[in-house]
Amino acid sequence: MSAVKALNPKAEVARAQAALAVNISAARGLQDVLRTNLGPKGTMKMLVSGAGEIKLTKDGNVLLHEMQIQHPTASLIAKVATAQDDITGDGTTSNVLIIGELLKQADLYISEGLHPRIVTEGFEAAKEKALEVLEKVKVTKEMDRETLVDVARTSLRTKVHAELADILTEAVVDAVLAIRKPDEPIDLYMVEIMEMKHKSETETALIRGLVLDHGARHPDMKKRVEDAYILTCNVSLEYEKTEVSSGFFYKSAEEREKLVKAERKFIEDRVNKIIDLKKRVCGDSNKGFIVINQKGIDPFSLDALAKEGIVALRRAKRRNMERLTLACGGMAMNSVDDINADCLGHAGLVYEYVLGEEKFTFIEKCDNPRSVTLLIRGPNKHTLMQIKDAVRDGLRAVKNAIEDGCVVPGAGALEVAIADALVKHKPNVKGRAQFGVQAFADALLIIPKVLAQNSGYDPQETLVKVLAEYAESGQLIGVDLNTGEPMVPAAAGIWDNYNVKKQLLHSCTVIASNILLVDEIMRAGMSSLKG
Amino acid sequence: MFEAGGVPRAALTLQLGSYAGFVGAHWWNLQDAALRCESEVQEQERKICPDVLYRAGRTLSRQETYTPRLILMDLKGSLNSLKQEGCLYGDTKIDTSVAWQGNLMTHQEDPPAKNLFLQDLSKLEGGMSSDGGFSPRALPLSKDVSQLPTQLHVSQKGHQLEGSVRVWSDYLRVRLHPRSIFMIHQYNDDGESSQLEAFGQGESLLHDPTYLEELEDRLHFYVEECDYLQGFQILCDLNNGFSGVGAKVTELLHDEYSGRGILTWGLTPVIHNVGVSWKDFYRLMNTVLGIVHLSSHSSLFCPLSLNGSLGLKPEAPVTLPYVHYDASLNYHSSAILATALDTLSAPYRLHSSQFSMVQLADAFNSSGRKVVAAGTAVPFPMAYGQSLPDALCSYQLAVPWTPLSSCGEQKDSCCFAQSVVLRGIGKENHISTSYLIQGPCKVLPPYPQFFSALLNKQGFLLDKLPSCSTAVESIPVLTALQSSPALYSALYRLYKELHQVDVRRWASFFSAGIELYDFQEALHELRTLSQCYKTSSELDESEDEADTD
Repeated sequence: MSAVKALNPKAEVARAQAALAVNISAARGLQDVLRTNLGPKGTMKMLVSGAGEIKLTKDGNVLLHEMQIQHPTASLIAKVATAQDDITGDGTTSNVLIIGELLKQADLYISEGLHPRIVTEGFEAAKEKALEVLEKVKVTKEMDRETLVDVARTSLRTKVHAELADILTEAVVDAVLAIRKPDEPIDLYMVEIMEMKHKSETETALIRGLVLDHGARHPDMKKRVEDAYILTCNVSLEYEKTEVSSGFFYKSAEEREKLVKAERKFIEDRVNKIIDLKKRVCGDSNKGFIVINQKGIDPFSLDALAKEGIVALRRAKRRNMERLTLACGGMAMNSVDDINADCLGHAGLVYEYVLGEEKFTFIEKCDNPRSVTLLIRGPNKHTLMQIKDAVRDGLRAVKNAIEDGCVVPGAGALEVAIADALVKHKPNVKGRAQFGVQAFADALLIIPKVLAQNSGYDPQETLVKVLAEYAESGQLIGVDLNTGEPMVPAAAGIWDNYNVKKQLLHSCTVIASNILLVDEIMRAGMSSLKG
Repeated sequence: MFEAGGVPRAALTLQLGSYAGFVGAHWWNLQDAALRCESEVQEQERKICPDVLYRAGRTLSRQETYTPRLILMDLKGSLNSLKQEGCLYGDTKIDTSVAWQGNLMTHQEDPPAKNLFLQDLSKLEGGMSSDGGFSPRALPLSKDVSQLPTQLHVSQKGHQLEGSVRVWSDYLRVRLHPRSIFMIHQYNDDGESSQLEAFGQGESLLHDPTYLEELEDRLHFYVEECDYLQGFQILCDLNNGFSGVGAKVTELLHDEYSGRGILTWGLTPVIHNVGVSWKDFYRLMNTVLGIVHLSSHSSLFCPLSLNGSLGLKPEAPVTLPYVHYDASLNYHSSAILATALDTLSAPYRLHSSQFSMVQLADAFNSSGRKVVAAGTAVPFPMAYGQSLPDALCSYQLAVPWTPLSSCGEQKDSCCFAQSVVLRGIGKENHISTSYLIQGPCKVLPPYPQFFSALLNKQGFLLDKLPSCSTAVESIPVLTALQSSPALYSALYRLYKELHQVDVRRWASFFSAGIELYDFQEALHELRTLSQCYKTSSELDESEDEADTD
């Protein structure tokens, strides 16, 4: 009897085999939910809530977030898998599949009396070997646009349909290439993702500049300006009546009026400084002048600016201030006291687009934009969300590839290579831990098997063909999902991220080992607080 | 002269947490009831300006809308039958087209059962399809109220909603803008796992860039279109992790929108006490951290609750002489708080005056007194035709309201500063009060009918029980906001309760983001805050306390 039973008779306890069974069934359950996701031929899931809201996804990460997982073990696996996504941006589904399979394979040996500890030792040895294989098969090459397009396509084809995936592929690769600075980490933050519920999903495009989701608030301001100077600033151009109202500085109504006037004058001076600058730089030419202010601009100031032909946008988002100067050049000014022509950025075209009650301002044709916008279009909310999730993953894949400096052949080729290497490596491992190595090798093959299965082919048959082809050719061989036959993924341009695979091998081994070593599960009125 | 006359000084409302949702839903319903009745009253009597809290908009199909300027944060599972996007801006046709050519699997959740009120409401607004599938396009509330169908009073027939209200959306009558509902998917509304129960969890939620960006986007949407923004009113749960969310939100607003008023109402549902458990300590720690952080970033902070006190063993909930409410129902208790809020907030929502949130806050803020206490008389007891002085005379020196800030009964009406609003009293009994508003507070369904039988339809007192009871449709309300010495003992008591225990016992509270050191710091600040409300008579007494610390 468990000690906790003596202390708390209500405690529920599961031990040894029973505990393992509980954990494995949870892992398998999760695996069953996600297995149909894998690969470009996986099944899209449409989740319809009770209130009729639609969520469309095929992304393991999104699904795991949507499910209200109650089982503690399942929730543990889900957390690891989603952490994988947080770190690398991909691989959630593979993670869950491999963990489930590792436990299933281990269970075969454990039920025959092998101690879980021995199995985990085998896992550890196998992981070391697998990482060696990964290092050996990774392809280090120059990350030219073509390779990056291949990487992005491999990722995006698993999230959206092929036609859309190809559009998004070009867009995300060009977006990352535009913001990339030599010898600096890539800051994906400089790619703004903007959604418009409008037209069809294939109109999604990369805008080499910025799209702001607000517009000028004065009827006389132009809706379209070409060849424009851009002033980015963070200066209050609205009368806030703070000083006057908050103190008791005035004795009479006239005095108050005077104070109000003085403060109003203060704002007017700022507006005039901007107008002066506009006159200086534009002169009599046709050039436009745009003010984008992070603070407010009240109707009086807007009016004054509009009279001078200046287009003014107020309350720009803080995060767009940096993007603006990167896209158009110039500097973000915190005061108008010392503004001059050097502070100004430039854009070839600025125009407004109205959609219902929402306005969008496009700032395009920038000279050398180092911040760009991915404008996502779609006919409805769920399509927009689906594309947004896909675009995020695509951007991450491109960034990973550039930062890794290498890629790994996809379509299950890596898993086949590792499994083969592990089987050959097995005799070098001492004692019964060999079984753990064998279990690991078998578990990895779940990836090519499920890929084939999701595409409608017999998993065993495909696997045998692929293994045979691999042994024969010595080349890395994956599954061709259009034919079910073996193929060379490198030739087909199917590349996965190196760090996704590396992270996958690490986290799967650790979590599967941890779960195997659980000897006792108890439930005794624990608080539900989690970190 | 530079303030364009008649331009509303807009305010943005934020509701953080589920009890805030309860109170907020009642509040919007009250305002909605007032809007719908507006056509009946004469123009000059209409003194609360709806444009302060509402915004006019237009859908993609060019329909005019009039929706609350509101951002509402709550946890997964609190919406029940309400769609996150609302139904005003829905697609014209049900569009399930899918950008995928492969296999598609559909997981459909059963539509939740709608209570009688919601069924009536959807019938009213375009006929709910009986299959309960997708919500139909609802009739948008246009700004031009005269277009509203007159049969809106169909749902006047009293629904007994007491048993069927689980979440606030079960009785929300107002339609929301799609940018209003902000769901936190990381935590569950109920159930055992994944609860948002510690301050630190709430705080770290807004460290996550996805939530932070989303919040900034929504703030931007509402704020950018305002010509004159006077500030933000925040309704925030104090008892759970949302106090941490509120702390972060107020900090963000304080940094980003300097010069605007931030009025924060810290809400606590009625606590049923059966013995002190770790949950009570969590609640107390959340409350204390909430009070300290919210008050430091806001222009004015007011705790609102029907509890006798907010300590570990709260005293019995307050009683209101003419309201028989069930303290165990959030639906009831939040209705009272919402009624008080609707009147408390009146000074900065008036058509006529230029008084703003900042000015209201400034009136109280001297010597660091950022916390105020509220009190209310719901309904204000007055017989029909009685004059106001007569009604007030009966109180002598006592205050004519029930405290709503868990500070205990006040001994006298002395205070550092106060703002008193009385509404629903006819013109004939004019006297000089801080604010006197003619329009009463409309309490149409789904407002609970928990009033004493002694009230008539207009909420005035009858001298004997009527033969047949009538539903109360409107009530006079008196509210007061006070910076009062009672806050000293209330805040100091919270300080003492936590000062005496070793909070390290609740390690998991601190695992979720907040450091022990920060907590001690906050406790110290609470003490300093309480000292601001000390009057000379209490001075000696507390010096003794300081020695024994």
